Amino acid sequence: MIVEIGAFALILSLILSVLQTGASALARVRRAPVLAAVGEGAAIAAFFALAVSFAALIYAFVVSDFSVANVATNSHSAKPLLYRVGGAWGSHEGSMLMWCLALTGFGALLAGYGRGLSAGLKAVAVATQGSLGIAFLAYTVFASNPFWRLTDPPVEGRSLNPLLQDPALILHPPFLYVGYVGLSVVFSLAIAALVEGRADAAWARWVRPWTLAAWSALTVGITLGAFWAYYELGWGGWWFWDPVENASFMPWLIATALLHSAVVTERRGALPGWTIFLALGGYTFSMLGAFLVRSGVLTSVHAFAVDPTRGVLLLTILGVTAGLGFALFAWRAPAMARGGLFAPISRESALVLNNILLAAATATVLLGTLYPLIREAIAGEAISVGPPYFNLTFTPLMFILLLLLPAGPLLAWKRADAGVALQRLWIAALLAAVAAVATLALAQPRSLFGAAGLALGVWLIVGSATEVAERIRLFRAPRGEVLRRLGGLPRGTWGMTLAHAGLGIFVLGAVFETTWKAETSEVLAIGQRLEVAGYVVALEDVAPVQGPNYEAEQATLRAFAPDGTLACMARPERRLYSAGGQTTSEVAICTRGLSHLYMVLGERRVGADGGPVWLVTGYWNPWALLIFLGPGLMALGGVVSLSDRRLRLAAGRRAAQPAAPERAPEPAGEPA
Amino acid sequence: MIVFWIAVGVMSAAVAGFILRRAARAAAAGGDADSTLPLYQRQLSEIEDLADRGLIAADERRSAHAEAARRLLSAAESAGPAWTVSATSRPVLVGLAVIGPVAALGLYLGFGSPGYGDQPYAQRLDQWRAAPPTQLDAPRMAAVLRSVTAERPANPEPYRFLAIAEMASGDAPAAARALREALRLAPERADLWESLGEALMMAAEGEVTPQAAAAFQRALERDPKAATARFHLARGQIEAGEIEAGLAQWRALLADLPAADPRRAVLQAAITDVAAGPRQPAPPADPAIGAPEIAAMVEGLAARLAADPDDAQGWVRLVRSYAVMGDAARRDAALTQAKARYADNPQILRELAQAAAAEPMR
Repeated sequence: MIVEIGAFALILSLILSVLQTGASALARVRRAPVLAAVGEGAAIAAFFALAVSFAALIYAFVVSDFSVANVATNSHSAKPLLYRVGGAWGSHEGSMLMWCLALTGFGALLAGYGRGLSAGLKAVAVATQGSLGIAFLAYTVFASNPFWRLTDPPVEGRSLNPLLQDPALILHPPFLYVGYVGLSVVFSLAIAALVEGRADAAWARWVRPWTLAAWSALTVGITLGAFWAYYELGWGGWWFWDPVENASFMPWLIATALLHSAVVTERRGALPGWTIFLALGGYTFSMLGAFLVRSGVLTSVHAFAVDPTRGVLLLTILGVTAGLGFALFAWRAPAMARGGLFAPISRESALVLNNILLAAATATVLLGTLYPLIREAIAGEAISVGPPYFNLTFTPLMFILLLLLPAGPLLAWKRADAGVALQRLWIAALLAAVAAVATLALAQPRSLFGAAGLALGVWLIVGSATEVAERIRLFRAPRGEVLRRLGGLPRGTWGMTLAHAGLGIFVLGAVFETTWKAETSEVLAIGQRLEVAGYVVALEDVAPVQGPNYEAEQATLRAFAPDGTLACMARPERRLYSAGGQTTSEVAICTRGLSHLYMVLGERRVGADGGPVWLVTGYWNPWALLIFLGPGLMALGGVVSLSDRRLRLAAGRRAAQPAAPERAPEPAGEPA
Repeated sequence: MIVFWIAVGVMSAAVAGFILRRAARAAAAGGDADSTLPLYQRQLSEIEDLADRGLIAADERRSAHAEAARRLLSAAESAGPAWTVSATSRPVLVGLAVIGPVAALGLYLGFGSPGYGDQPYAQRLDQWRAAPPTQLDAPRMAAVLRSVTAERPANPEPYRFLAIAEMASGDAPAAARALREALRLAPERADLWESLGEALMMAAEGEVTPQAAAAFQRALERDPKAATARFHLARGQIEAGEIEAGLAQWRALLADLPAADPRRAVLQAAITDVAAGPRQPAPPADPAIGAPEIAAMVEGLAARLAADPDDAQGWVRLVRSYAVMGDAARRDAALTQAKARYADNPQILRELAQAAAAEPMR
């Protein structure tokens, strides 16, 4: 009964999306606020109906109702509760439902909180968001319905892929989907701007919070995915330029570019066409990602549905949505107002350069991701494009971008003096140079790439701090004045500084880890030891362990630091999930400061003397923690920036009447 | 069932009511003015605010202010006609609000499974427990017994029955798991150790693995006469090449079995078979696997050995495969290659010669 309520609510949500689109479009044509309200009401109701539907699916997973085909294929009665709940979005059908939930959720937010937008823009945006909802809800209802029932339910379910039974992977999809689908609002706003012929500062200010929210969620989602790959797959790496990783990374790059170009449009009214182009591109790349991982063209843990029909349907949705969007762009964008002018050296130019580099980086990633697929389709041979390609294309572009980054925020709008900006960065430059020299002198083996990367990280972190120091006149004004200015800094500035410094921290971690990681792999019997980067790891014992839905061999490893003291006891496991017959390895990570001693238990073998031996691998991943802390700080920067009073004013407050005094009412009790 | 229709009714009414309420509020609020202008006004005031706090310089303040003011003016000029409440007739609005749920219901009746109740696992389990055991198939029986073991965790018998049911439903690892639990409670029962050995053997597709052998040994320690354990341990010896020792064990077992034991005939046949000489490779067990699949598997093996030739047993299998397929040319080519590689290993050379002598499949 509850399952069927979910099935009904899903269809209700689809119909409400149709009503949302129809009523909002008609409202725009007839300039009728009452019809617009019907469209908005339908958008909000569609979200609540879908929330009911999603809750029903979670219920079916929790009680292990194997008469639901999706539950039977992706769950098992012995699975722990957390993973039964997570199973609701661990499958193709369930994750599409979550995609739709996010889509209608953002539609409801747009409808409920879009008061600062002009009525026409809002009506078109709500209608567009509704039509995106129709496409994906219709796909879910007719081609991938999570509520399809089995007349003869099996006794047991087939269980969720054990690799996905992991806390990080329970959180990874929700964040990623909020990020992907958050860009749909930006897409809808871009369509609205094109229809209305109006992409002014007010519009750009509206685009920013949605982009920020989507970007922050996407950052967290991608980081969680990388973190999961790091500790669950047991190969010691965290990013492999796998097409699936790229599929999530391209929308992120576009969203990053959009965040910056929207600033220019908001502050100066310039670049409206480019900002709209990026706004259309963000969601297009999200849909491309959805197509790549769901069509069966890629083989990976994400490729749940190897079903060509679904792939063709998703490709159709992608083609029609993006095609219409960009066709509208080609038709309407040339007529858009150009906006404010700026000199070649100015904040605007710096942001344009940022956009060019990010767009070029996206293009290289796109090429590296699609080329093997195209090649396979045309020539029939499978090739893979791996890290070497990206190291030669993507990395240099990013190096230039990051090198120029600290100067950007120091440049004035309209016309700036590059010399003055560079002068202000002398401390950052000095510290970066010191870091490079020290690295070359101290770190073994000597690496030019490592030294340059480390210098870049220091340059970014100190450079970001310089901007704040400049704004509060650190060391130049009396302390009271400095503190007053510090308190008065807008949260947007803090957000930017955190994000840029987080990027620097990430660069430090990524460079250090890739340059100086060490790995030792040895076959050990009980009592034997291996050495990695000065650490000695002794295999003390291997014992069988019985988990809730798996059996495992658990090793007890004693790791000694280079100075001979006990660093930690580690217990890596090798698990056999009997429901699917799959084996996974549970890595043991020993955190030493910022670095990780990372230990993997391999399969059992028979040793030379007939006794059991195990393949044990130890990795020394120096500063690996920074790889995940940096992006975490970036996402935090996004959230801090999102909480900026200026954005909240635009998003949440009913607009003052035109007759109101020039100064808008300030929220009471809030520091100016 | 009735609850379902009530839920559908409540949801439909709530949705229609919510939409109508928003429409009514919009009608009461009147036309919406262009809200872009206040935004520019706010931008202007922000510039003032930042300048007051000294965060932007005076000349920047002037130019930013002038530009924002220009934008405010142009926005005011370009603003279209305001939206006004026209008389959207009440029946049309009610129709719009009602048509949604009605259409959804129609679609649902076509695509859903109306009247199909939930089937939570716990509820189905209760039904199976209430049913007479003879009516249950092995997987359902196993599910019932699993719940019984949870209720009586100190009794080894339910675990033993569970193991039988798991085995019958083809899940040997689960059977082994159940038997381990049973043995935790009754470690001295030889029959349980024997069953565990069999379950582990089944999980390894019939091979007497070290783990299975260890379980059989434990059974023998507790009951030196345990026939199943003796049979399989000896079989393991024969498969490992210690044919004489294994046969001796089997003959001893045959002598120990009572004359009426039905297992005697099977054992006697096995002894005769093994004593007759080296066993021929069994014909493909599954008739569904035809020659093309076998050829593909052999090609795969050959490719793997070409890439990574240091695999003696792989070469033996390759030679035997070519021999069985009747491909003498490739058999001899592989044999020559392997012989050269393992020239100093008489054991491997012997196995290779045996493999090459395998009879071709008809």
